[in-house]
Amino acid sequence: MLTPRNISIRFKIAVGYILIICCLGAAVVIVSERIQSLQNEIETITSRDMEIHNLITSIRYNVISMETSQRGYLLTGDENYLKPYTESKAEWEDNLNRLSGYFNDDVDKRRDLDNIRATIQHWIETSGEPTIALKRENQTEAIIDYYKTDSGKEDVDQLRDQLEQLRLKHLDTNRIYIGELEKRNELLTLSLIGILIAVAVVSFFIVAYVSNAIVRTIRQVSSTINEIADSRGDLTKRIKVNSKDEIRDLADATNVLLESLESQSWVQTHVADVATMNHGVNDLKELASSFLSKVAPMIGASYGVFYYRRGAGEQLRLDKVAAYASSGDEQAKSSFRFGEGLVGQCAQDKRPFLLNQPEQYKASITTGLTELQPRSVLVIPVEFESKVIAVIEFASLDPFLAQHLKLLESIEEHFGVAIDNVAGRMEVERLLGESQAMTEELQAQTEELQAQSEELQMQQEEMRMTTEHLEEQNLYAEQKTKELEQAKAELEDYAEKLRQSAQYKTNFLANMSHELRTPLNSILILSQMLYENDSKSLTPEEEGYARVIHSSGNDLLTLIDDILDLSKIEAGKIDLVVDEVNVSEVPEMLKLSFDPVADKKGLSFLIEQQSELPQIIRTDGQRLQQILKNLLSNAFKFTESGTVTLKLHLADPSIIEERMPDAQAEGFIAFSVIDTGIGIPKDKQDLIFDAFQQVDGNTNRIYGGTGLGLSICSEFAHLLGGCIVVDSELHKGSTFTLYLPYEINEAQLELNQALLEVAAAAPIGAPSRPSEHAVPVADVSVPEPDSSISNAEEPESSDEDSAFQNKRVLLVEDDARNVFAIVRALETKGLEVTVARNGQECLEIVDTDSSYDLVLMDIMMPVMDGFETTKALKKHPLMKNTPIIALTAKAMKSDQESCLAAGASDYISKPIQMEQLFSLMRVWLTKQVEH
Amino acid sequence: MVDDGVLRHGGSLRDMDEEASDYGEIEELELDLLLEAMYRLRGFDFRNYLRSSLRRRVRHRMNLEKLPTISALLGKVLHEEGFLEKLLEDFSIKVTEMFRDPEFFLSFRQKVVPHLKAHDELRIWHAGCATGEEVYSMAILLQEEGLLERSIIYATDMSKSAIEQAKQGKFPLKRMQAYTRNYLQAGGTREFSAYYKTDHSYAFFQPEIKGHMMFAEHNLATDGSFNEFHVILCRNVLIYFDPELQSRVHRVLTESLAPNGFLALGGKESFLSPYKAKFAEYAPEERIFRKL
Repeated sequence: MLTPRNISIRFKIAVGYILIICCLGAAVVIVSERIQSLQNEIETITSRDMEIHNLITSIRYNVISMETSQRGYLLTGDENYLKPYTESKAEWEDNLNRLSGYFNDDVDKRRDLDNIRATIQHWIETSGEPTIALKRENQTEAIIDYYKTDSGKEDVDQLRDQLEQLRLKHLDTNRIYIGELEKRNELLTLSLIGILIAVAVVSFFIVAYVSNAIVRTIRQVSSTINEIADSRGDLTKRIKVNSKDEIRDLADATNVLLESLESQSWVQTHVADVATMNHGVNDLKELASSFLSKVAPMIGASYGVFYYRRGAGEQLRLDKVAAYASSGDEQAKSSFRFGEGLVGQCAQDKRPFLLNQPEQYKASITTGLTELQPRSVLVIPVEFESKVIAVIEFASLDPFLAQHLKLLESIEEHFGVAIDNVAGRMEVERLLGESQAMTEELQAQTEELQAQSEELQMQQEEMRMTTEHLEEQNLYAEQKTKELEQAKAELEDYAEKLRQSAQYKTNFLANMSHELRTPLNSILILSQMLYENDSKSLTPEEEGYARVIHSSGNDLLTLIDDILDLSKIEAGKIDLVVDEVNVSEVPEMLKLSFDPVADKKGLSFLIEQQSELPQIIRTDGQRLQQILKNLLSNAFKFTESGTVTLKLHLADPSIIEERMPDAQAEGFIAFSVIDTGIGIPKDKQDLIFDAFQQVDGNTNRIYGGTGLGLSICSEFAHLLGGCIVVDSELHKGSTFTLYLPYEINEAQLELNQALLEVAAAAPIGAPSRPSEHAVPVADVSVPEPDSSISNAEEPESSDEDSAFQNKRVLLVEDDARNVFAIVRALETKGLEVTVARNGQECLEIVDTDSSYDLVLMDIMMPVMDGFETTKALKKHPLMKNTPIIALTAKAMKSDQESCLAAGASDYISKPIQMEQLFSLMRVWLTKQVEH
Repeated sequence: MVDDGVLRHGGSLRDMDEEASDYGEIEELELDLLLEAMYRLRGFDFRNYLRSSLRRRVRHRMNLEKLPTISALLGKVLHEEGFLEKLLEDFSIKVTEMFRDPEFFLSFRQKVVPHLKAHDELRIWHAGCATGEEVYSMAILLQEEGLLERSIIYATDMSKSAIEQAKQGKFPLKRMQAYTRNYLQAGGTREFSAYYKTDHSYAFFQPEIKGHMMFAEHNLATDGSFNEFHVILCRNVLIYFDPELQSRVHRVLTESLAPNGFLALGGKESFLSPYKAKFAEYAPEERIFRKL
């Protein structure tokens, strides 16, 4: 059925054209037929008109020619003139008949013609024939008579009018007819226009219909194409055409194209996706897992594993690097050898494997609820430079489509490059890191080496110095050996003598004290007996003398004991007897001894004892007594009024710590002897423990005593592991406190004795107390900004400047004052100075003698300036390593730079600070340690 | 991590150097114990120092002391007074010189100093100053640029003896020629000899230079930030640390630096930790970074 949708465009166009041509043909036929008829009518009219005219004219001519010919004959009688008359007489009827033939349907004109005929016949009958007959009869008179009436003329005139009237009538008829024709002509024109319009309208509708039918479908197609173009590659749209024509074919073809484009673009966009994913990834594992998680959804895979080629030769294998939706590491094999399994085979053959409906596929796809068996498995190799570098395996619940394979094929090429890139990048990064680490390591090693070499250098230097020193010493020693040997003998002699004399001294002291004691004893006993005056033989005055003798003897005895003790102590020969001492007994014994003294001087002697003291301490009781006695006797001696107190208490650990940092602060007992005596000035408090010292010379004179007592006490206290501390204020009193440990440490005891021995052997003036050396070290971990710097060292000023000894300096300077000043200053430092007045002279000097250690080079000089001279010296074979110090005018940066450029080692600006010059010269004359 | 793929061109050199030699597992353990002992005894934490360096230092000490094992060394550390200090001395590498890497000081003078002139008060931290040569160099540079008056240079090192030495400001004469050359190359504008006095073996730097320095013990491995600074110099210190410790130190340095402050590292030192993002490379050749 030919519905408009099923008609092809060609048919539509053809039908349209044919319709139009038909219309046109019809119009042409109609018009031409009408024109033809019109033409015919016009021709008919024209030829009849002309015929009518001719016939009217002929009739008139006939009549006129009959009249003319009759008259001519009448005149001449010549028969020749009669000829036209006869011809016309024969003709006119004929003409008239023909004419009447044209007016068959015109009654009026036929009547006119009948009248004309009657008129002519009348003329002929009345005028023509009779006259001619008269002539022939020669009846001229009759003719003349005739002409006197001339009836013929009337006929002719009538005829003429009649003919004229006919012609006019005919003209009128013609005019009317032409008007009719014209009307018809107009009608024709109008109908022509009408036909044309009709044809045009028909053709327009046909064209409109046909073109619309074509254009609509084309538009549909083009708009769909535009939409696709506008949507920038959205290839999912399809062209829909309802007609079944060529456009439909076109649309179908385009749809097929789109379909293929879509699938291509799907592949391409996904390829691009995968390709862009690789940017910035520097880790293969990351790349692999992101590849899997990207590609798996694309191809509808529910499971994926990525194997990467590792190792070489025998070790060549494929290791699992990443997995997608893997349910655990045991599921996919972690490594394949080449050729092993499908994965290995795939790598070996460099071709993909696609298994549909794999039976007993080991891996299953795990969801939260169940495990599913894949329906399709795909193993594809990834190649780079025709080497398989990875194998990827996908499994899916649906079969893989051709499109998926195509995609993988396309990706595989790019991905091979990407893997290689990433692997390359990783390698580069690893190498970079390694190289950086190595650089740093190298730097560290270099520094270490440098430190070591510095250390070595230092050691070497020290060794060298030592060696030099030793060599010198060796020489010296050799020279002195003999002297030394002599001296040694002498010294040995002396030493022997000294030993002997020391022995003598000790022996002497021991003997003397013994020897003195014996007579002294008798003096004491006897004097005592005397002042006791039992016999009452002495006067009170003499009794007093005896008392003085006794007390002086006692003093002397004490002094002798003291001397003996001290010498023993100094000789390290004191023996301690350590035993248990009952603390409570100590003051009792002392009280017995000193109560009388107190009574005598009118002082009160108090004893205080803390309750928590230990019962028993282990120490040398005798020495303890001795110390306390000494302290108490001192107290009584120097106290004129008030009290003397002996206080036993536990020691304050802080004092022990302060005084004896080496000892344990706990476990000390303190015996304080407190008096209200004259006191000791602060500045003297340290001195009183030194032998033979008292506060001043006067004290001795007022109070007597040798000052040995405290010294001995102090030494004893140390021996016993304790110490004596004094606290005193002038005119207020003193407190002497003896600190002793509860138990004397045997080791400590030995050490103390050893120390005493050492002290005894040391020269006089050396510190003898062990506590003195222990100075606590200040903690300097958080310093103040300035405090630590203010106490920094300053250079030692040493007269003999070893750096300058025997060093030769070449001074190149033109200014005489400078020369004088510098030379004098340098010479006082022991330097040997040679002076050159200018550069020229300098070079001359150097040519003859180049053994200089340093050159001082003025820059502004006549003849040859310092820059040039410096340059010249730097070229001199023997001088090129000699340091040159430029003496520049007021430090100008450009000057300095020129100096250095010329080859000077350093510069110093004028006016020269001699101290700075010396510093500088020391630097440049010191042999350097180079790395 | 893929570390032994097909692209690998053989073992790492670092691995080869000592691991392959006679440094066995036991010795590693001994070294661990030694470092742990040093940390527990005195709080000196060398556990994150570069192992190879520590091994060399320990060997050096073992050779000097003629000790057969690190354990013997450890025994001495534990029981011999003063031995730990000796080892600490060995561990602190005090390689330095005045105006070390003159081009750095030149660059600092030309590129960094102009920015510092805007500050009324300038705090500079010299972390790991060793015996102080570079601290004095910096002070001289600042003096010449008119900045020393408003500056305080905080110079720290973990070595007490180094700090003590640095405080003295005296350097051996036998290195002074090289220092003079460095000074001149570093763009020194005056006479180097104007800054020191000498005796027969040392050059003593002038008190004017010393006045703006503050020396203190500070251990980058354990201690944190103690102030905010405009400039931090930490040159050739990080090379002795492992990456973890390096990162820690980077953090301390970053935290201690004021915004737009400058950080100077040693010429061969990398800056690979995440803290790098907080810095712009200011003078990459001289390893000067600027905090953003």
